[in-house]
Amino acid sequence: MPLLSIATLLPLLAGLALMLLPVRPARIVHGVSIAATGATLLLTLAIRDRGIAPEGFAQLEEAAWIPVIGAAWRLGVDGLSLPLVLLTGLLFFLSAIYSARIGDRPATYVVLMLMLESASLGTFMALDGLLFYVFFEVSLVGMYFMIAGWGHEDRQRAALMFFLYTLLGSLPLLLAIIGLHLASGTFDMRAWIGTPPLGGTAAMLALVAMLFTFAVKTPVFPFHTWLPAAHVQAPTAGSVILAGVMLKFGTYGLVRLPFQMLPDAFAAAAPVVLAFGAFSALYGAFAALAQSDLKKMIAYTSVNHMGYVVIGVAVAALAAEPRIRTIALDGATLQMVSHGLVTGALFFLVGMLQDRAHSRAMGDFGGLLGRVPWLGWAFILSAFASLGLPGLAHFPAEFQIFLATFNARPWGAVALLGIVVTAALYLRAIAIVFLGPERGRGRGMPDLDRRERLVIGVLLVLIVLVGVMPGIVLDVIHRTMSGLAG
Amino acid sequence: MIWLALTLMAPFGAGIAILALRRQPAALALAGSALGLAGALGLFAATARGDRIAAALPFLPGFPARLEASPLTATFALMVATVAVAVLIHAAGYMARDPGRVRFFGIMTLFVTAMELLVLSGDWITLLGAWEMIGFASWLLIGFWHHRPAVPEAALRAFLYTRSADLGLYLAVFLLIGATGSPEIAAASALTGPPALIAGLLLLLAAAGKSAQPPFQEWLMRAMASPTPVSALLHSATLVAAGAILLIRAAPMLPDAVLVAVGIVGGFGAVITGLMALAERDLKRLLAASTASQHGFMLITIAAGAPVAAVLHLVAHAAIKSALFLGAGIFQHDRNATTLDALAGAGRARPGVFAGFALAALALAGLPPMAAWFSKEAILAATWNSPLAPWLVPLALAGALLSGAYMGRALRVLWSGPAERAQTPVPFMAVGLWGLVILAVTLGPAFGPLEAMLGATIEDIPPFLPVLGLAVAAGGAALGWLLPPRRLLGPFLGPAERGFGIASALETLSARSALTLAGAVARLETEILAATLAAGRTGTRVAAATCRIDRDRIDGAIFALTRGLRASGQGLRRLQSGLIHRELALSMIGILLLIGVLLIAPLSF
Repeated sequence: MPLLSIATLLPLLAGLALMLLPVRPARIVHGVSIAATGATLLLTLAIRDRGIAPEGFAQLEEAAWIPVIGAAWRLGVDGLSLPLVLLTGLLFFLSAIYSARIGDRPATYVVLMLMLESASLGTFMALDGLLFYVFFEVSLVGMYFMIAGWGHEDRQRAALMFFLYTLLGSLPLLLAIIGLHLASGTFDMRAWIGTPPLGGTAAMLALVAMLFTFAVKTPVFPFHTWLPAAHVQAPTAGSVILAGVMLKFGTYGLVRLPFQMLPDAFAAAAPVVLAFGAFSALYGAFAALAQSDLKKMIAYTSVNHMGYVVIGVAVAALAAEPRIRTIALDGATLQMVSHGLVTGALFFLVGMLQDRAHSRAMGDFGGLLGRVPWLGWAFILSAFASLGLPGLAHFPAEFQIFLATFNARPWGAVALLGIVVTAALYLRAIAIVFLGPERGRGRGMPDLDRRERLVIGVLLVLIVLVGVMPGIVLDVIHRTMSGLAG
Repeated sequence: MIWLALTLMAPFGAGIAILALRRQPAALALAGSALGLAGALGLFAATARGDRIAAALPFLPGFPARLEASPLTATFALMVATVAVAVLIHAAGYMARDPGRVRFFGIMTLFVTAMELLVLSGDWITLLGAWEMIGFASWLLIGFWHHRPAVPEAALRAFLYTRSADLGLYLAVFLLIGATGSPEIAAASALTGPPALIAGLLLLLAAAGKSAQPPFQEWLMRAMASPTPVSALLHSATLVAAGAILLIRAAPMLPDAVLVAVGIVGGFGAVITGLMALAERDLKRLLAASTASQHGFMLITIAAGAPVAAVLHLVAHAAIKSALFLGAGIFQHDRNATTLDALAGAGRARPGVFAGFALAALALAGLPPMAAWFSKEAILAATWNSPLAPWLVPLALAGALLSGAYMGRALRVLWSGPAERAQTPVPFMAVGLWGLVILAVTLGPAFGPLEAMLGATIEDIPPFLPVLGLAVAAGGAALGWLLPPRRLLGPFLGPAERGFGIASALETLSARSALTLAGAVARLETEILAATLAAGRTGTRVAAATCRIDRDRIDGAIFALTRGLRASGQGLRRLQSGLIHRELALSMIGILLLIGVLLIAPLSF
């Protein structure tokens, strides 16, 4: 059975079916949404069950599309994409559960979410350059309408900025993909990986184009300004998907395209990439420290954490020893998963807080831990995970990234300072919002209900599991990465 | 294996059970820690017989988490488990009526688990993991009464101070794994040259942070906002001890230059924090400063090349300091305060507890035949025989003098005030206290065999040295009892009360600059955003201009053209009148014109 194609198309088809219904009551709509995302999650688990190949891609599925130009429907997974596929399945399912309370045009909202899920899964599984680009772009449309339609105060402007920024940002990628196509006559990414078609100046130009696109998407300083704006205005599930899934397009693409398809050019440019990653990580941490809006603060910590991923990928290209390269790639890939889980949890929690108090400003709260212990302890645990506490999801990833960085380019480890800054900003936020005497908008606030506990509980359990037994994710990653590191 | 599992899993299981069941927290915690103690005793006995117990659990690819029980680590594990049991017995009384006791006992047992993991870790990654986890647990415990003012800040300070210093441990671990190719702690002893020097200094930074050596002592002083059993545990066998434990375990790889640095940090740390303890006006803060000072001693000993003597002092101090805190907790319970003014006479009101407290205090001062007398003798011997003796011995003696002085002062205050009303009995708290006091008093004779088990040779020392040590300790205690700190410290009193301004200078330097930088980044951020929006606006302006040009020029031109065509069409239409004679005439004119053209055309070529 072509599980990959089914998983990619199922949400989209469910959305289309929903549109055909004559009447669309909210209960039915959300039921369909939960059922479709749940089924997709089960499909991704089945894909995990089938496993990956020791080298290259596994579970290949091909169908003709535009044979004249060599573009085809090509899907497959390896140790880089499989964890992200699982993460996508999980976060969309949890978002569907969380969003079941949305009563404002629920059908449109659900159709958009389902379309986004298809686009996200397709982006990670596509093995065809053109198909990858199409999925990559379609996700923008979904997110644009999500922010513009269900966002907060200033949503129109933020949505437009997000859309234009990332759309313009991805045009160079199209040029690079066309370049790869012209040099090879196919859009098959396996062929591009097997024998990199570009060399010399052409490769460097393609690299610059790709780096620009992925720097916007990841995001890396100075192309990150769309992120806090979009996050603050996006609805909660939108923020979760944006941070948890869509930011990974950037770093996934960074490994899949420049690292694998332009290896020589990328190795030459890696010191610059490393510098950008390190600066971005520190910049994001300090920018987050200056925020008083909880959601904006978490958005900026994404810049910090994704900066670590960029560092890891750059180090993997720089390091001489294969062992160090593997450690760097392992860490970078695991960091993507950890960031999805932890930041997903944090955005859910801030959303739950905002649902109750209609505010995101830290100063509006105080001493909430006594009032809403579930919310409070969940936030504390997620925050400590985010600041890299051992035993929680970010530590194994960040440890590997920094271990490799320090042993390849010791100066890159300057970004380690970020773990102190993130500690400071989370502890400060916790102290203001949750500790101390009760004050502000906390009075009469109800604690998490059963559905919210379910959503958060699943994420917290996974955060602890990945922290204590990183092998559950790393085994798959490591198998592919030790091949990539050569 | 079974002992290793018991040591770690018993307190862990108890912690999880407490948090999950939410009932009988004290009983579960006691059961878990008692089983943990049994495990640690088993480990200690097994390693004393010469067994080596090790285990490896899967963690990162190529880096399993290793656990290892050697005589050294088993000694630490036993120390942690013993103090944990005593403190938890005391806490069963101290926290009996606290509404948050489920959380308290749950976190305490998990904290003990993390500390056991730290002392038993066999590789750097496990050690680093446990190291950070005890930081988190101490944040939870220091912030236990989180609704009280100043408590969140104290917890925040403790975590941030130690995490900043932890950067040293992170970097050292990266360096050690890279340089030796192995994550095992034992492999590090083979390291030499610049990597050993750099790694050693980085480890010293981390240890100074956890062990609250200047300039990091402030977090420990503020951590007194926690429940007193927490202080008893943090200060004796766990959190603060981790710094000393780290250096003791790393001692085989530390080159001479690092030992000098360790000596400087520890020596001056012992004296500076000793002065602060003497000037302190709060009993718990006095004990906190004394903790930092005693850990300074341990660093001095490591610098002198005698880590085993440091182990002895660590063990002695663990028993003594936890006893002192538990005593202080009982006095605090009585008077609902910890300032020395408020506690005046609290000891006379409770002679039994005061006796225990006094025994522990004199033990800390270093009077025979109690535990710290033996360990301080070992310290003096080690420093005397070290190449650094000329400056280590005076610093050690000064530290010892100060230990006596501040303990003498504390005893004087507790004894010499008004002893009001009879007190309610405190059975749990008293049992916990006396268990530790008995250890503090009787542990000394066991130090000889322990030293042998840890593989240290007893060094020869000139006979006057113990006498000198005794004179200094007794003299210090007498001075502390007889003279107020104003007289003892003279001009140093003011600076010592303010912690010599170290903490505020450090905080100004780090926190202020971090916040300034964050502010600058935030300003830059708004400017980048403005620039992006400006670029966007330029885009829309260009679009608007294009639109205008479209409308006014191009469209205009096209419309003008059509208008012109129409007008000429209108004009031409008049020619098309439909009258046959006019049409014929026009046709004729046209034909004549054509013929004319045809006739003229050949001539022009």
